[in-house]
Amino acid sequence: MSGSNRLAGLTARPKDTGPAEVRKVDEVGEARGFVDRTPRKKPGRKPSPRTHQLHPKVFPRVGEAIAAEAEKQGITQGQLIEQLWERYEKSEKD
Amino acid sequence: MPVIVMASPKGGVGKSTCAVLLASEFARMGADVTALDCDPNKSLTRWASHGLPKGVTLHSDIGRSEIVATIKNADGDGKIVIVDLEGVASQLVSRAISQADLVIVPMQPTALDAEIGSEALALVKEEEEALSRTIKHAVVLTKTSAAVKSRVQKELENQLRGAGIDMIEPSLVARAAFSELFAYGGDLTSMLNNPEIVTGGKVDKALLNATAFTEAVYERLK
Repeated sequence: MSGSNRLAGLTARPKDTGPAEVRKVDEVGEARGFVDRTPRKKPGRKPSPRTHQLHPKVFPRVGEAIAAEAEKQGITQGQLIEQLWERYEKSEKD
Repeated sequence: MPVIVMASPKGGVGKSTCAVLLASEFARMGADVTALDCDPNKSLTRWASHGLPKGVTLHSDIGRSEIVATIKNADGDGKIVIVDLEGVASQLVSRAISQADLVIVPMQPTALDAEIGSEALALVKEEEEALSRTIKHAVVLTKTSAAVKSRVQKELENQLRGAGIDMIEPSLVARAAFSELFAYGGDLTSMLNNPEIVTGGKVDKALLNATAFTEAVYERLK
């Protein structure tokens, strides 16, 4: 067996690759137990990139006000502090 | 050029060995071979990590959502696409079969391999009906004895032929060189010509077996 000229005679027949054909193939396969076995992604919330822990102690009325404002805005207390810090940095530059 | 798919829901039957032998032998004939490693065990990728024969390109980590498009993109003039599948019953397998010009179902000459392998043969038949096109398919017995044909093997061959299943001859004999390909990479010819490679087996006999097997596959692609 040698020579690429022999191989030149080999041809592939056209195949259906549309979504309808793939769906049909999936249905046939599933009926025979050939199901989707793609590994599922890990469930649950992804870990937050916010890893730094602050340890501030504030007066109760300030803490309660921060908590209430964060809840009102639908963000975490950490995100609220980040916003305040951004404003502070901006005011320092101006 | 043709798409050849190795399929069996059973693991360890010789799908990757068949894929490597066909890829390297067709490349030796001058074909531009694209091998697709769809097996999570990454046998073909391990083989390729030691060096691919000239003319073979490998794509790894092909999943169910990419298989149809990847085969379509890899297929073209002067190219042979060889797909090595995972040893489970999955949608990835059924989708790959739908794109095949030839499905090869390797099985060892045991009742268990035949029973599980027949699931792949039945799936091919059903996909032929669903897609209204013929999908050539054949069984190759693997890891057979070089010395004698066992009674079980003879019975199995008779049963499969009786059921109208195309049997590829010769079978793939249990050869150390076939296993060692995954450790050394390349092809059997490079293994034969490299005195530093010690396989503990007869590489020349293995090469003859692989060449005859590839020739038998070629006849089915015409």
